[in-house]
Amino acid sequence: MNDPYSVLGVSPQASDEEVKKAYRDLARKYHPDNYHDNPLADLASEKMKEINEAYDTITKSREQGGGSSSGYSYGYGGSAYQSAGQRQGAGRAQYVQIRNLINANNLAQAESMLNAISEHDAEWYYLMGSVYWRKGWMDQAGQYFRTAATMEPGNVEYRNAVQYMNQGGQAYRPAGGGDMMGGDMACNMCQNLICADCCCEMMGGNLIPCIGCR
Amino acid sequence: MYGYVRPVKGELKVSEYERYRGVYCGLCHELSRRYGFLARFLVNYDFTFLAMLLAGDERQQSCPRRCAAHPIRKTQCLCHTESLAAAADMTVILGWWKLADGGEDKRPPLCWGYKLACLLLKRAYKKAAGRQPDFARAVEVDLEALRRLERENCPSLDEAADKFALILRAIGQGLPEGAGRRVAEELLYHLGRIIYILDAADDLPEDEKSGAYNPLRFRFRQENGRLTAEDEKTLRAGLQLSHNALAGAYALMEENPYGPILSNIIYLGLPAVTQAIFAGTWKAPAKYHRERRSI
Repeated sequence: MNDPYSVLGVSPQASDEEVKKAYRDLARKYHPDNYHDNPLADLASEKMKEINEAYDTITKSREQGGGSSSGYSYGYGGSAYQSAGQRQGAGRAQYVQIRNLINANNLAQAESMLNAISEHDAEWYYLMGSVYWRKGWMDQAGQYFRTAATMEPGNVEYRNAVQYMNQGGQAYRPAGGGDMMGGDMACNMCQNLICADCCCEMMGGNLIPCIGCR
Repeated sequence: MYGYVRPVKGELKVSEYERYRGVYCGLCHELSRRYGFLARFLVNYDFTFLAMLLAGDERQQSCPRRCAAHPIRKTQCLCHTESLAAAADMTVILGWWKLADGGEDKRPPLCWGYKLACLLLKRAYKKAAGRQPDFARAVEVDLEALRRLERENCPSLDEAADKFALILRAIGQGLPEGAGRRVAEELLYHLGRIIYILDAADDLPEDEKSGAYNPLRFRFRQENGRLTAEDEKTLRAGLQLSHNALAGAYALMEENPYGPILSNIIYLGLPAVTQAIFAGTWKAPAKYHRERRSI
């Protein structure tokens, strides 16, 4: 493993507070919520693991008398990203398969399977939206999600997807960084803070699955 | 290209600003050195960003040079590096195709100017295409696909933007296989999307008048040459999502000698330009200089 201090970008002489701050900043940057359904999620998760390990190593090595375990580290809960497919028990077997394809980033096959289905229900629109989302076709993804939510207004998953899109999603930005929405910045910073501190179910449902603090 | 990808100058340190200028001037000199005087006019902010983005771990050295724009005092220019040379090649390729595009799109007499420029730069283009054959092919194929979509009045914003995004993505194909390339390609794809959509938003009032193709005209409703408030919100939320993807990829990039400048462009510059375009102040003639200088 790399030197834990260089992973966190602090000197070995840094105070506990400084180490913690550096760790928090990095954790905020590579937080799984910023890479939700993102083709680079695997790389971000590796990075997160590296940071967590470095932080753990440092806290453990510094822990002599106090014995205070850090007790908090952000993590990519194992299958958080694959959660979507599992809970659709009542859905068509085909849809489950398509969800799995999407989660495995096999978009071409998922799309062709969807195109082969002639009857388009809400789930179909939602999955098509997911395919577009992964491709980076944000506008189309939004349209499909909205259609799904209109067809089945009671479905939390669809509704959350629409809400997430309308809010412009979530991403790491350094303090003071601007956004493309023209909304007030404070709100955005707030979101980041909430994300760093609690990270659970801030938008609920599956589009931002609960990753949880370990 | 378009010039949407630029830093917010006021937020750069003086030393960072000087380095940024050095890359811009360096790219200009590189263009002239490789492709002759005329190619200099293709230099632009977007490719200055790309030259920095792809800088890798080559030594970045600057040397004082004189040019037509700075005839008396020499400016500190970035010296020749592999990535700067590649950026110059790609500037010529994309710049030439854009001129060719203008030659077909614009009405006379404007189109004659484009055609002439195209003719004069033909040799430079051939040379550049020989050096970057994969990129030249990608540009040709994707631009042709984009033109076809435009002819068909494609109503899908994403489909049209995809073609342009693929062109930028192709810039990353020269990188060695691996995580670094994946990250760069994702970043470039979303940068291309953002540039294309911003350009469409920027041109919307004009295109509305002239009846030229603009994906936003077919995708959204308009009132008096502007999008309705609700549609503008939807569009900007979409831009934000692309920007998120771009920022996410950027966070995963290896350390870069131009890190602070790139961060400025991504986190401050792009949002500021977006703001100016949607506020209608980006092109306004009276404010032209003030606006642009402040960004």
